[in-house]
Amino acid sequence: MLTAISDDMFSTDVIADPYPYYDRLRDEDPVHWNEKYQTWIITRHDDLTWMTRHHELFSSAVFRNDPKPPYPEIDESDLGLYDEFVRLYQADQFIQHDRPEHLEMRKVIHGYFTPKSMEEWRPFVQSAIKELLDRVQDKGHMDVMRDFATPLPVMVIAEMMGVPPEGRAYIRELAEKLLYIGRGEPDRMKPLSEGMRGMEEYVSPMVDERLVNPGTDFISVLAGGERDGIFNRHQVLVNTSLLLLAGHETTINLLCNGTLAFIEHPDQWDLLKADKGDSLPPLLNRATEECLRYDAPVKSIQRIASEDVEMRGKLIRKDERIRWFITPANRDPNKFDNPETFDIARWPNPHVAFGSGIHHCLGAGIARLEGQEAFKALVERFPKLRLDTDQLEYQPSITFRSLKSLPVSWN
Amino acid sequence: MARKLTITVDHNLCVGNAMCETIAPKVFVLNDDRQSEAVDPTADTEENILEAAENCPVSAIKVVDADTGETLFP
Repeated sequence: MLTAISDDMFSTDVIADPYPYYDRLRDEDPVHWNEKYQTWIITRHDDLTWMTRHHELFSSAVFRNDPKPPYPEIDESDLGLYDEFVRLYQADQFIQHDRPEHLEMRKVIHGYFTPKSMEEWRPFVQSAIKELLDRVQDKGHMDVMRDFATPLPVMVIAEMMGVPPEGRAYIRELAEKLLYIGRGEPDRMKPLSEGMRGMEEYVSPMVDERLVNPGTDFISVLAGGERDGIFNRHQVLVNTSLLLLAGHETTINLLCNGTLAFIEHPDQWDLLKADKGDSLPPLLNRATEECLRYDAPVKSIQRIASEDVEMRGKLIRKDERIRWFITPANRDPNKFDNPETFDIARWPNPHVAFGSGIHHCLGAGIARLEGQEAFKALVERFPKLRLDTDQLEYQPSITFRSLKSLPVSWN
Repeated sequence: MARKLTITVDHNLCVGNAMCETIAPKVFVLNDDRQSEAVDPTADTEENILEAAENCPVSAIKVVDADTGETLFP
């Protein structure tokens, strides 16, 4: 007989190590009703792929369509703030739309982020990595999170936005407030809404300026969408802040979780060290994909049922919440051989770290590129990389798999 | 006379983002698994087909000159 599965996804154990919990759900109850948070939990690779590719059945307009208040519960005094501000702010993100609107919005910015366009950013990424690692090389140690994984994607995304270097620190400050969206603290609506308002105030004059003098940055691209009548001003601001946040928080986690996976698997680190770049696809690319699979930066994404749908004998009713989990899907034994093994030569590697279907991560190309260049630089410069702590802590987020810090040394 | 193209979609990579179908809907059609299939390489201009390939977010589409074997994308 099975013991009941706890529904507390924010418990200390599940945050610290989500794998036993979600893997068990995947193997025992893959379409699970979480009573505590009133949401379906989807954990199998094939279900996740099917669901994300049937966007007509599962709406992404969660903030617009979900009739229930957020979970975990927020302070009652903040319910107004949620309904009148946070919900409306989130609902204007292009990822919170369904077709046909989603397609028109995505088309505005899709071309900016194609793999071919992102290749042009490789030299900038390489020089940013060099600048950051030069600063710590002689010290012999760093906190990967603070000194490398955070500043690198912020430098890249700020450059893409056309924000000068002196604006980077403020961008990170706002992003840290916006991150409260995936957290569990009852008073999280206050910092979250501060981040949202701060972002609107910071970006609005930039949009005004780019409407008059368009450049090659993505704020200009979004402003072009306003000029063409696809976005209104609020949507331009909200989507700028979305790209800013999504464009770096995820990459931060790829760099930290990937570095940690290498440290915990020295044989794989040695393989990367010895790589001559003669395999196709290159080992470095495969390794980055395996980091994305093995300990994915994003744990889960939400949907809301557009109609009644049956999955694995369970009836998901219209307007019910759904949360699909990348974490267990990426280790689904029905999809991957030896799913618990960190194998950087693994290929093909159909992981779902970037989701799937029409909402597949817009920034996948730049995330991959930053991962490849970061791991390459680390293995070349710090071949003796080792962990400097036995106490790793994760942010209490259901959305992101995010370390608080990752102290390492290399001498 | 337009040159003949061979178009392949790598199903180990295709995530069903469907941007190819949006750009060249007579050439690229989603199958039952919602992955793209190149059903008719003659049904659109080479320019549009190359644009569809370039807009694939996972570089799953390969376009080759059917007569010379020259890779046109990627």
